[in-house]
This record gives sequence, C-alpha cells and structure tokens, in this order.
Amino acid sequence: MKKTSRVLTILMFVFLYIPMLVLIVASFNTGKDLTHMEGFTFSQYKELFNDEDLLTLLGNSLLISLLSTAIATAFGTFAAVGIHNMRSKMRKLVMNLTNIPMTNPDIVTGISLSLLFVFVGTGMLHQRESLNFWTLLVAHITFSLPYVILNVMPKLRQMNPALQDAAMDLGCTPLQSFFKVTIHEIMPGVISGAIMAFTMSLDDFVISYFVTGSGFSTLPVEIYSYTKKPMSPKIYAMFTLLFLLIFALMITMNILQIQGEKRKDKKRKTADSHGKKVFRRVCAAVCCVAILSTAGLLIFGTRSDKVTLNVMNWGQNIADGTDETLDIIQEFEKRHPNIRVNYTTYDSNESLYAKLSGGGLSVDVIIPSDYMIARLIQEDMLQKLDFSNIPNYEYVQQTFKNTDYDPLNEYSVPYTWGTVGIIYNTKFVDPEDVTGWELLWNEKYKGKILMFDNSRDAFGIAQYMLGYDVNTEDPQELAECAKLLKEQNPLVRQYVMDQIYAAMEGENAWVAPYYAGDCMMMMDANPNLAFYLPENQGFNLFIDAMCVPTCAKNKTEAELFINFLCDPEISGANMDYICYGSPIEGARDYMEEYLAESDVIYPSEEVLKNGTSYGYLPAEVSRSMDEQFMAVRLVGGSTEGSGSTAILIGTIVLLLAFAALPFLPKRKKKK
Amino acid sequence: MSKELIRLQNLTMEFDGEKVLDGINLYFNDKEFLTLLGPSGCGKTTTLRIIGGFQNPTSGDVLFDGKRINDVPPYERQINTVFQRYALFPHLDVYDNIAFGLKVAKLPKDEIHQRVHEILEVVGLKGYDHRSVDSLSGGQQQRVAIARALVNRPKVLLLDEPLAALDLRLRKDMQNELKRIQQAMGITFIYVTHDQEEALSMSDTVVVMDKGRIQQVGRPEDIYNEPKNAFVADFIGESNILDGIMLADYKVKFFGRTFKCLDAGFAPNEPVDVVIRPEDIDFVPPEEGHLVGTVTSVTFKGLNYDIIVDFKGFKWLIQTTDFQGVGSTVGIRLNPEDIHIMHKSAYSGLFGDYSSYSAEYDELTEDAADEEE
Amino acid sequence: MKKNKSLLLSAPYILWMLLFTLIPLGVMGYYAFTDPDTGRFTFSNITDLSAYLPTLGISAWYSLLSAVICLILGYPVAYFIAHRKPVTQKILYMLVMLPMCMSFLLRTLAWVGILETNGILNNLLGLVGIGPVEMIGTSGAVILGMVYNYLPYMILPLYAIIVKIDGRLIEAAEDLGCNSRQVFTRVVFPLSMPGIISGLTMVFVPAVSTFYISQKLGGAETMLIGDVIEKQFKTSHNPNLGAALSLLLMLLVLGCTNMMSRFGGDEDGEGGVVV
Repeated sequence: MKKTSRVLTILMFVFLYIPMLVLIVASFNTGKDLTHMEGFTFSQYKELFNDEDLLTLLGNSLLISLLSTAIATAFGTFAAVGIHNMRSKMRKLVMNLTNIPMTNPDIVTGISLSLLFVFVGTGMLHQRESLNFWTLLVAHITFSLPYVILNVMPKLRQMNPALQDAAMDLGCTPLQSFFKVTIHEIMPGVISGAIMAFTMSLDDFVISYFVTGSGFSTLPVEIYSYTKKPMSPKIYAMFTLLFLLIFALMITMNILQIQGEKRKDKKRKTADSHGKKVFRRVCAAVCCVAILSTAGLLIFGTRSDKVTLNVMNWGQNIADGTDETLDIIQEFEKRHPNIRVNYTTYDSNESLYAKLSGGGLSVDVIIPSDYMIARLIQEDMLQKLDFSNIPNYEYVQQTFKNTDYDPLNEYSVPYTWGTVGIIYNTKFVDPEDVTGWELLWNEKYKGKILMFDNSRDAFGIAQYMLGYDVNTEDPQELAECAKLLKEQNPLVRQYVMDQIYAAMEGENAWVAPYYAGDCMMMMDANPNLAFYLPENQGFNLFIDAMCVPTCAKNKTEAELFINFLCDPEISGANMDYICYGSPIEGARDYMEEYLAESDVIYPSEEVLKNGTSYGYLPAEVSRSMDEQFMAVRLVGGSTEGSGSTAILIGTIVLLLAFAALPFLPKRKKKK
Repeated sequence: MSKELIRLQNLTMEFDGEKVLDGINLYFNDKEFLTLLGPSGCGKTTTLRIIGGFQNPTSGDVLFDGKRINDVPPYERQINTVFQRYALFPHLDVYDNIAFGLKVAKLPKDEIHQRVHEILEVVGLKGYDHRSVDSLSGGQQQRVAIARALVNRPKVLLLDEPLAALDLRLRKDMQNELKRIQQAMGITFIYVTHDQEEALSMSDTVVVMDKGRIQQVGRPEDIYNEPKNAFVADFIGESNILDGIMLADYKVKFFGRTFKCLDAGFAPNEPVDVVIRPEDIDFVPPEEGHLVGTVTSVTFKGLNYDIIVDFKGFKWLIQTTDFQGVGSTVGIRLNPEDIHIMHKSAYSGLFGDYSSYSAEYDELTEDAADEEE
Repeated sequence: MKKNKSLLLSAPYILWMLLFTLIPLGVMGYYAFTDPDTGRFTFSNITDLSAYLPTLGISAWYSLLSAVICLILGYPVAYFIAHRKPVTQKILYMLVMLPMCMSFLLRTLAWVGILETNGILNNLLGLVGIGPVEMIGTSGAVILGMVYNYLPYMILPLYAIIVKIDGRLIEAAEDLGCNSRQVFTRVVFPLSMPGIISGLTMVFVPAVSTFYISQKLGGAETMLIGDVIEKQFKTSHNPNLGAALSLLLMLLVLGCTNMMSRFGGDEDGEGGVVV
C-alpha cells in the first residue's frame, strides 16, 4: 500500500507538471507551435522584454494585486479583531457573510459585481466608464478579504486573551495594545492571508474578466483573449519567468520557515531578536517600497498628459509589424505623439455589441460590420462623424458610400470589405466534395468541421443552403435554419472564431467557413489550405467600417485615427497584413502584387454579383436568433412544454430545500 | 493599622441574566496581603477583574483612595496584575517584557534600564535579561510576570491564581517568595486562589467567597478555627458537620448526648451545626468513649491515617497517627475545645458527611493534610 | 464599551461586504426578474431556464465526476505527503501549491497542445503505431481538464486534515485489534471526513461553473452551464437570462455544498487552503 501511494504520488506530480513543462519547453522553441519543437532559441525572451504591451499588463496585474492585497490585509485584520470580539450570534452572521464569496462560484461573483457597477455607475450615476481601475480594485479587495479574515481569525482564537489585558494593565490604550501585542501574535495568520490574497488576486481570471472595462486590464484577462488568437510564443517565455520567480519565492519562504523552526527547537539561550528585527524591518521596508512605488506608478500613470485612445477591433485585423509589415499603431503614435492607443479586440459583432450595450466601458473607435452598424445606429449607440476631420474620406470608393446600413454617410467610414467562404485542407478533403455549403454537413468529415461561433454568420450559411433571404424575419424560416444547424451539431468539432487559426493551421480540423482575409492569412501559414466561395448558393459580402460609439470620450482623436487609416498608403500597408479588400482608392497599388491580384481578396465583379449583405434585424429577431443558436449547441436542445416547466419547478424547489438545509434544524435545536 | 485603599460597594455582576457577583461589600487596606478564596465560579476572579478595570460591574462602585474609579480604564489605574498563566508577551524577551509598561509610559531609557535591573534582582532573575520567555521554566516565567507588574510601582498588585500552573514544590517556594516580595515592596497584594493552604499561609486577611457572595472575612486563624457556616468549615480544611441542638450556653446536644462546649450566645434549643475537625479527635478504648463506632475504612496518608468510623450510621473522618484495623470497635472522647458550634445556614446538610468517602478525595485536602503537620 | 468598539472596528467591513456581496446578488436577482427590453417585472427569464436544465445536469455530473476522481487520486497522495518527514512535507506541499499560482489559462492551453489530433500525445502514440486518437472535444478531455486544474484544491485540505490525525489513535486502533485496512476504514478515513468534504466542495464549485476548460478542451457538444452564462454576457447580450442562469447555478452550488457538509457533519467550511 505504501509503495502504491508512493508511485501514485510521483505519477500525480508528473501529471501536474507535464503541462507546465510543455509551456516551458515551448518558450525556447523557434517555431510558433506548442506541439512541434523546431529548434532552440532565446529570442522569445528578447521579444518579451521588447513588448511594452505585455509588460504593461504584467505591471497592471502586479499593481492590482499588490494594492488589493495591502488594502484587504489591513482592512481584514482590523475587521477580524472586531468580529472576534463580537457576540457569538452576531459573529456567526458576519462569518456567513464572509463565506459568500468563498462558496459562490467565481463566475457568479464576477457577474453580480459587474451588474452592480454598471447598474449604479451607468444606470444611476450616468458615468461613461463605470468599469474601470477602481471597480476592478474593489472586486479584487472583495474576494481577497475573506482569505485574510479566515486566516487571521484562528490566530485570534489561539491567542491568549489575557495578553491584551496584560498590555492594557501595563498602560496601553486598546489601540496601543493592538499594535504592541495583538499584531505580533496574529502575524503568521496575517502573512499567510496576505500571501493567499496576493496569489489569488494575481492569478484571478474569471472575476476580472467580468469586471474589466476597456481601459484597464490585467494579464490573465488579456491572456484569455490571446489564447483565442494564434498565440505569440513570448507568452510562454513570460510563463517560464513567472514560474521561476514563484518557485524561487516559495523555496526561500520554506527555507526561512524551516530555519525559524529549527531555531525554536533549539530553545536558544539568548534570543537573537536583533537578527529577527532586522529581517522584519527589511520585510516591512520591501512591502512599503512596493506599495509606494505602485501607488506612485498609478498616480504617475494617470497623470500622463497623453490622450488615451481606446480602439476596439476584430482580432487579427490590423497590421502589427510582424512578417515585415508596417506596425500601424506605432506609426500613428509616431505621427501623433500626444496620443497613446489602447488597442483591444473582440471576436464577433455580437460580442462587440454585448460589450457596448453591457455598458461600463468607454471606446473611441470600433470597427463593426454592416448589419451591426445598422443596429447600432438604430439603437442610438453611434455618434455622427465630423467629416471635416476626415479629409481622407475623399479616397473612399463610390461603391462604399451611401450603403444600406448608412445611407447618408453620417456614421461610418469603411475599413475593409470581404466575403465569407469555406476554407478547407486539400490534403484531407476530396475536391469532389467541394460543391457548396453542404460541405459543412458532410458526414465524411465528422469531427473535422469547424463552425462559426456567432449566430448571424451561422444562420446566414443555413439561409444560403435553404435559399432563404439572409435578412428574413420569418420565424418559420428561422426555425428551419435552426433545425438545419442542429443537424450539423454532431459533425462539428468546435464552434470557433479566432481560434480557427490554430485549428486549421495545425490541421486538427479540415473544413470551416470563415472570412476571406483571415483565410488568406491561414493559407499563407499552411499551403495545404484552400479557399472556396459557393457562388451558386450565394455568400455574404460584408463591409467593416469604422465608427465612433456614443460612449467615446475622445471623438476628435478618434476621427484623427480614422482619417489616418483612410490614407491609401497606410490602408495598403494594412491590407498587406490582414489580407482584405481595401475600400480606399489607390490602396491596392500599395499592396504586394500577389495579394492585390488574389481573387480571394478581390473577386471579380462577376462573382461579387452573387454575394449579399446582411442587413438590420430588429432586436427581438436578433435575440431570438441568439437563443436558437444557443439551443443548437445545448444538450437536449430546446424542450418546450409544460413537462419541462414542471421539471424546472421541481428542480428549483429541490435545490431551494437543500440550500435552506442549514437553517432548519438549528431552530429545532434551540427549542 | 493602616488606611483603607480600595472599597467595593454593593458590587453586582450579571452575565446573560446570571448573577456572578451578588452584593459584594469589601475594603482593602494599604500594604495588606488579602486573599480572595473560593471554589471555581465563586466570583473571585470577576471581583479581581473589576478591580483591575477589565470588567465593569453591572451595579455598585469601586472606590480607590475614596474616589470612584468605575469608568477609569485599566491603563489609567495605579494597579497592575499578574495574570493566570502569566500572559507574557511571546514576541519579547525578558527585558522587553519587563520594560513594556515603562516604555509605554515613555520613561527615559536610563531609568527604564535601572528599574528593570533593580526588579530583576528583587525577583532573583539577574542576568536573564535577554532570554526569550519561551526558554524559561514555569517558576522563572512566574517571576518575570511579577517583575513586569511590579516594575511599574503600582499601589496594588492583583494576582490571579499565579501559582496554579506550578508543581507542588515550586508552589511552596513561590509562596514564601511572594510574601517576601510583598513585604519588601510594601504594597497591597490582592491574591486570588482556590487553594486554601496558599490562602492561609500567606495572607493577612482571607475572604472566603461562594456563589458570588462573601461567606466570611477574617484572619487565617479565625477563619480556620471559627468558620461561620458549613461551607467555610468544609472548604477550609476537613470537617465533620453534625446536626445538633444548643440546649443552653456551653451545652450542646447531638447523637443523643449532651456535650460541653465553649460557645455561647445562641437561643435556647436552637438547632445548630456542630463542627468537629478530624484531627482534633482522639481514640480511647470503647468503654471510655463518649461515642462508640466501627472502623469501616483506613487509608494510609504518609503522615497520618484517614480513618472512617461509623457512628450509628453517620460516618466521621478521623485523622490520627494511631492505627486501627477495619472492623474494630473504637471509642472517642470529645473535649469542649474540639467542638465548634455554627448557626444553621443555606449550606447546612450539604457538607461534613463522609458516607461516600473514598481515598481519592481531591488533592486540595491532601495539601491541607500536609500543611497541618 | 468593548462591544461598541468591536462593532466600530468591523462595521466598515460589514458595510463593505454587504455592499459588494449581498447587494450585487440582489441586483442580479433584479435582472433575473426583469424583461430585457421593457425593464418590467417578468417570470419569463425563469421559465426560459427549463431549456438549460439538461446542460445544468451535465455540468453537475461532470464536476461531480471530476471531484470524485480528484478524491480517488488525491487521497493517497495527501496521505503519502502527510506521512513524510516535516521538511519533505513542506517541499511536497509547496510543489502541490505551485501550479495553483500559475496561470490556469496557459496550463489548460498546454493540455490542448498535448491532446490535439496532431498534438504531443498523438505524436508519441504515432511512434508506437497507434493512429491519432481524437481526444479534444470529448467529455473525457473536459473532465481531465477539471481534474488537472482542481486536483491541488483536493490534496491541500485533505493533507491539512490527515496530518493532524493523532498517531496515538492509530496505535490505539491497532491495540484494539484492527489490521491496517481496518485502521484505515474505521479510524483514518472517518477522521479525514471534514477534509474530504471541503476538498470535494473546493473541486466541485469551480468545476461546475467553469467555461474556459470546456471552451478549450470541449467540443461542439460539451457546452456547460458556465459557457452558457458567459455567452449571455459576452456575446448574446442577454444579461437578464444570464442573471437567471447565475441564480440557478448559485442555487445548485449552495444545495450541493450544503448536502455535502451535512453528509460529513462539517459545519464551518473553513478547512480551506492555508499556506
């Protein structure tokens, strides 16, 4: 038995550490892929230290964790002393309150906090940006506090209460006695509480994910959006460094602890309190410096006289300097040194809409697609542009003016246009099967098919298949589309957006519908991939255009940015990377020839005739579409009727009964 | 002899409706060694904590030098305390523990240094300045606790069962030590204990408490010799307590016989409690005895035998150096000075019968037995 | 006087916790019972929940399964660690803690790299001649992800309890005629019950509400309740339905943890992780 548990323990550690080993090895990989070791290099580390954005995020994370830990520790320690002195009934009540964030799932805590902040900040105080640094800090303090309290309380309980009396007896006021005696007694609890709070806060993703607005973000939240896109291996380098740092920290902590215990065991004749004092002072000094410097950084950071322009764009939708392209944002900042661009991404029109209408954030430039622009205009979420600030608008081709979604050219300036087609892997897909959208329903490729993770594009494909109008509002037709999508569900490997890159390039999936420009990028990376446009059934022809939402704070700078992107040279350079068609006259001339000539990017007029655009749909129709698309992916699907309602009520009653369990018998006991 | 320092007036203390102190009236003289004695839960520690300022009485006043100090917090009272189990600060060494109060009072460094060293000498811990308190023995920790309180030169030192955690021999030494220190310092000691032997051997005045009330106040000898009621008689030493009737002055009747005694001032034919100390009883041959009984058990106690004798169904404890075998018939004589008469009280009938006597009666009495030799 | 001061000390805390834990839940309740368009009171969000019950069931089932697997894997490990020398214990404890401090997003992503069709594991299997096995997108992968991520949450409380079991109790049991198996089933296991309960809870709660693990390791058919909630807020934008779903999830978690703590007779769920 002992042998088996030893073997099990070793296996368990292997299990726990292998994924981390994979990441660490990947940080030295010359290739981009996690799975294939191509060669050894340190260049990822160099890149990491040149990547200001990543370092800023790391700084943000540290700032939030240090501040929230410091506040929660001080606040929690005092509170614990107060709770400790309470009557037992009251204490129980307060401890129940303390346990709420501990027992509630993180997702519920995050959601409820974000709802509160938006409800109060946006709904009641009419703040533009109600999800900001401070709300994130509040959230972190809130979930850190219980860790401090739960670590300090046992120490208070263990403490000899006479010590406090003794201090008072010797002339201390209650406050003095706390600082001279109590604090020393509960210090181990305070420290372990602070350490737990810090690690929890530093690594927190779920709660931060829901309470982060557009302006201030932490590393885990950004890593989440990175992990959707093809990952840049410098993240692995960062992981490795953090791993080493935490490993070293833990080792030193352990050594200190073990040494401390040894000293105690010896029952030293003379207390070397001097050494201890020095150590304590050093610790305190380090903490103070850390807190002060972060606080200073914060004040410094916010006082910077640069205007921060919040730009929100699709993932992989701007040239970022890799592969010898122009770094558009850097170029813009170079030309306008008083502006700092804070660039974030979304992966579908729907998630952009959710972010904007969820409230609580402020964005200056967004780049939604046609139908979403129509919806945003309809719902008063866009500002009219001042075209005197956008002289480059003259380069916009006539075909992209007076569109259905913005007939009077008031709200938007086109950014790109493109088509939706199918990308497939020629190594695995039989060319004879490539006949139309039904390729996505082909049983032969079960488990190798990817599908759009947004309702409009997914329904669009079903509508082309069934020959319905893509802007239909007929519930019957929509229901049939949903049925078709449901039939597809068992064949689908995953529903993805930006994640498509990794899956297709790594040949883990073989067939997927996606936007032409992105497909071009994938084809660049893996020559086995090919693009197909189902001309006979119809396909989506879309325009992405730049807009300024009503929540924007820097409209003039936003227009400056829009104008910059309309410069033919810039637009051309941008398209070189993102591989879409430019609506800017002359931009095509600045593009690399093979791209400018590609019929994936610039299909012929003939082909384009078969394309249709998505138009505005009323909110109820959009929502119903969302719900039906969700149901496609749920187990059991949509079960309507009184039977399921009865089951629902039964479940809720049962859960309520269990939830109320602890409150029932206690009353009985009292009687 | 000396002036009054502290006075407690009608102190009452309630916790959740339960009366812990019930009308305590007491005064403490300057330079006196006074002991609050009683079983656990009698209210002695509560009384001490009220004097120290750690608790506020529900009603009643605490006067210090004639001034009411109910609302004076502990850190402003000229009183210091030696706590149960010492309550030394584990994060400080001996020197810093003792200097704690002086540092809080912000005395000059030189003076602190000088006073700490003085007091270390008084308690016999010279050279221990920088030892950590964990590394000290119980007795040494005790001395540190006393030094820590005394260094502040309080007018009154409160000691809450300070010797409870020490073993027997150490406890004895410390008793002498405490008495010596008290005399050397010339201040008031208020000492709380449940150990009657400690109380009797150290105190100038003993206050016996039970159930939140003062049962008797007096010099140790008076308390022992003239217990006011069955509780005091039983709690201080061992006692056989019998029902009797005071026929007239100096004449008491129990067990159907009339005995001479030294007590007077009772109403004629008043029912009384009769106390006979086990060590006062001498065996005589049965034919010469006032009473004749049968030995039911004998326990060797080292210095004496504890012998239980059955007199007409009532079992007496007799402590003697004469061995008597179980089952033998013995007689006893009672001299007038062996008989002590008390008024009936709420405690009558609760104590003084050794029917359920077993050799394991608590160690307190063992200590008492030791003491009496 | 003392009472007042203690209240004064903790009053800001109580206020804070009311403001940022109870009231947010109240706001969530408000959203759950209002119509997304009109803002009027409605039960429709609640009745809509019936479509999500199977998903809730699947989520609960997966997380229960992974909690039990964690227990089976974690118990011998915790037991083993608890019976090492103190220094070894400290080091092993630290090694269990360490993964918890590292980004769980990236660690989960590493599993994607391992389990992919063209991933590390399949490459290795390919060397032995076993064809690529589809692992990503299966429920097994999701459960593996849960077990991997939350195993330390099981081991640490178990260890904390087992290490406190008095060695004399085991000797006493042996003295009274128990063989080593009986010692375990009759003494050690019952005594470690509080650790088991808090371990199960600490695995179950985050597992049942996860959305990242199922997003990365799951496939088209492994949508969990966490995914649904996340989508309501981040893509579909129906916070009202999302709030109703969150209430349901909260109820499930509360019910399950209560049931478990009743089962183990553990009242204060404090047996948590302490450094």
